[in-house]
Amino acid sequence: MTEPKRLLIVDDDPDFVAGIKAILDAAEYATDVAYNPKDGFAALKARRYDLLLLDIMMGRGAEGVMMARKIRKDPALRDLPVLIITGIREQIAFLFPGQAVHPHFVPLDELLEKPVEPELLLEKVGALLQAAEARRQKV
Amino acid sequence: MTDTARILIVDDEEIVLDSCTEILRGEAYQLATAADGQRGLALVREFHPDLVVVDLKMPGISGFELLERIRDADPTIVAIVITGYATVSSAVEAMKRGAYDFLPKPFTPDEFRLIIRRAVEKRSLVLETIALRRERELLREHFAAIVSHELKAPLAAVQQNLFALERELVSVASEDQRGRLARAKTRVGDLLQLIDTWRRGVSIDIDAIKTQCAAVSLRVPIEKAVESVLVHATRKAVEVVTAVPDPAPLVWGDQGTLAEALVNVIGNAVKYSRVGGRVDVTAEALDGEVRIAVADAGVGIAPEDLPLIFDAFYTVQPGAAGERGSGLGLAVSRRIVEAHGGSITVRSTPGKGSTFVITLPALGDDGPGGPGGPRHGAEPLAASAKEGRT
Repeated sequence: MTEPKRLLIVDDDPDFVAGIKAILDAAEYATDVAYNPKDGFAALKARRYDLLLLDIMMGRGAEGVMMARKIRKDPALRDLPVLIITGIREQIAFLFPGQAVHPHFVPLDELLEKPVEPELLLEKVGALLQAAEARRQKV
Repeated sequence: MTDTARILIVDDEEIVLDSCTEILRGEAYQLATAADGQRGLALVREFHPDLVVVDLKMPGISGFELLERIRDADPTIVAIVITGYATVSSAVEAMKRGAYDFLPKPFTPDEFRLIIRRAVEKRSLVLETIALRRERELLREHFAAIVSHELKAPLAAVQQNLFALERELVSVASEDQRGRLARAKTRVGDLLQLIDTWRRGVSIDIDAIKTQCAAVSLRVPIEKAVESVLVHATRKAVEVVTAVPDPAPLVWGDQGTLAEALVNVIGNAVKYSRVGGRVDVTAEALDGEVRIAVADAGVGIAPEDLPLIFDAFYTVQPGAAGERGSGLGLAVSRRIVEAHGGSITVRSTPGKGSTFVITLPALGDDGPGGPGGPRHGAEPLAASAKEGRT
């Protein structure tokens, strides 16, 4: 068997993280957690991850958006798939007026609403990982 | 007004300017004076006065014109006009045009001080009102965000853990424990949905709807709405049958909110249907209007409830099945429909069922065959062109 895929969850709500990490751990992913964007970014720099699960509304506002933008600008991280998990879909539309409800913060992302049904979560995670794998092989 | 009130006095008579300045000396005001309208106007921009005292009779820009220009520049500035006895009627005219008060010449220092004090009070009231209004707007705008985050975040965390626990305990929990876990999950889910509905009721922004409008084929929001109530319908074995003519009527609208308006109405129809019942969703174009009828054969609505069901927070007594709404769904639907220039009506027979009709203005000529195409004038509820959604 190959190494388990390594995921990073960045979310400031430890209880929510516990719920989501349990599902991912049970599905045999290796999951790390950061409870704020700063630690999250440091973790991304420290080692390679296959997928980032990112909360949007952190701290005093949409700090997750800032983090997503920073990732997009970083050549080393640009290809990292991002699964955005947010409390409010409409708020995203509010933050990005005039854009589709699902704005692509980073080139490769998906958006899910909290709370996430386990099947849906695993399906999206699997699909994003698979797409990333396919892209890597093409290159 | 942060600290001291700023007062601008505009008069062509130097003696008036001097004596006014003298009278107010020692009081906690900041003063500026101008000998003509032009200079006065410039000072309105530079000095940012709270009050202006304007002589109505001046060479150059007249007092009236100056008042008008000040209003254009900043309508919150409080204006007092000074006038000779002969022009009291024009002072009244000035007040009609928004000046706060007038002072006939000659006036005593006490009269002047008093009128200035009152005007300063007026100014702080004006500013306070503006601040409160802005605060209220901000509160309304942020309400959605606050409610979402502060109420939904903890619930989402709870629900996420219930999701996880349900999977983790599937092999060890008794049937009773699994049942209670499932109930807990359902209740939290209902609560999350309720918060969403309430938030929408408060924050729906009609102007935003208007700016998002485009030509919408009714088929899209109808199909979206039916799709999102399908889970509930299937659970109750309620068949939802849609009949939309081809080509579907077009309206000028916002697809997302139209779908939302329909979800509430169709969802209600399902909710108040009997198990194994049927809901018909029928669209037709008729005389420049588009009508969407949602008919159920459910419990119906009591006549005394009928006029109130579109009001916010009104819920009918729970029926036999204990169905109860948030009290906002139909109110939200009505706001959305009205924002589209349409209307929503209902007729109902208790025990027999209800039919909600949403009427929207049709968008221009939608092609050959006249408005509505082939289904023009067909019996609305005897849906022939079944699109067979169950």
